[in-house]
Amino acid sequence: MTPLLSFANVGKRFPDGGREITVLDGVSFEVQRGTFVGLYGGRRTGKSTLLRLAAGIEAPDTGTVRFQGRALIEMTGAQRVRLLRGALAFMACGDWRPNLGESVVDHVAMSLGSDGLTVRDARRRALGALDLVGLSATSGSEPADSLSLSERTLVMLARALVREPGLLLVDEPAVMPNLGDRGRFYRLLRELASERAMGLLVVSEEIGALQGADVLMSISDGSLCSTEEQGTVVPLPRRAPSPAAARSERPGR
Amino acid sequence: MTMARATTSTRRWMQGASTPLRGALLGLALERPGHGGDLASRLVARLGDTWRIDTNDVYRLLDQLVADGLLDAHEEPRRENRRRTRMVYRPTDQAESAMTAWMETLLPREPVRLGLHAKLAVARDQDAPRLLVALLEYERECLRLAQLVAPESGTQQRSWAALVMDCTRDAVWGQLQTDIDWAARTRRRINERMPVQSR
Repeated sequence: MTPLLSFANVGKRFPDGGREITVLDGVSFEVQRGTFVGLYGGRRTGKSTLLRLAAGIEAPDTGTVRFQGRALIEMTGAQRVRLLRGALAFMACGDWRPNLGESVVDHVAMSLGSDGLTVRDARRRALGALDLVGLSATSGSEPADSLSLSERTLVMLARALVREPGLLLVDEPAVMPNLGDRGRFYRLLRELASERAMGLLVVSEEIGALQGADVLMSISDGSLCSTEEQGTVVPLPRRAPSPAAARSERPGR
Repeated sequence: MTMARATTSTRRWMQGASTPLRGALLGLALERPGHGGDLASRLVARLGDTWRIDTNDVYRLLDQLVADGLLDAHEEPRRENRRRTRMVYRPTDQAESAMTAWMETLLPREPVRLGLHAKLAVARDQDAPRLLVALLEYERECLRLAQLVAPESGTQQRSWAALVMDCTRDAVWGQLQTDIDWAARTRRRINERMPVQSR
């Protein structure tokens, strides 16, 4: 079966002053429909970069990222934008940018774009999505910029779900200050993904945020370690030897 | 039939590496008496699979609690077959105060004795590739253990039992996360020192 998302030997480098740093190196994994894949990693380990590659927001330097069998690199910019507004949803929990004075329901409805829907239909779907994440119609009329951090995260989830994606990418869900809210949000994510047979790829600095994952992976030095043996490449980072290490390897020492 | 019961101070039973498990079993028996299998399955459900509790060990620990005078063991007929019996464990009069004493006692921190620490401590230069593999496998094992932890219920109403269960899960996740970070950091350190050709 063709996976929803696949990474095949993906590498990504970024300039760092006069040199380059390798953020991802030979990364391979798959996300199947209805599967929850969790990626744990500390700060600056490349997990958000991996998610942006999965969303087609950035392109890999090596290897291939495919969505439903099609390489993202082969799509035009417009096709990738359409993908991000449809079958694939990207939710960066720290990235909250409503328009000034926009109501919650309009903020969710706006993400539907101009897909031939009337404003009334878009709002109706937005209210449905808000209901799905446990926000009432009353909170839909509130200004989006008046919400608490926990409510914002739920609205972002509603905004992602309203387009009925096949794959949901979530960057750092552990932003809610209240631990009870977090637990409920994690459960909601799992349940919605399971009910809708969505693929779910969540990255977090907290392994507890990935509870219930079907596949758990960790990332460090640009490479993955996974609970799945198959399909995972765990290369050792290849760096030039330090002068001290090279000296210690000389014969006779 | 009642097994022999030894009198004991409320604190003397809190000795040895198995004290946490005996304390947890005592707490479960205080919540509700049960037979060995019942207490073992409740213990696993409460502490999680990451504790890797052996049912045979549970019977041994229950016997210790009986010997310490904190539990009574009676043979009682099985519900499904009255002609057959099984041992049911009930708390004694001393159990409640022993439990309170355990809650008040700061138990010594268990020693950090990860097998990998010992290997690292004496590893030779040429063992570096083997250590990298062992560390990666250790990281994978931590991820697998994290998968075994049952997710939080995430319900709105939080009972005391749900709260303490969540805190137990949190402890396991915290420990595994620390171990994963350590394994990754150690791999990086070894990698940074290793020449490319020997990897």
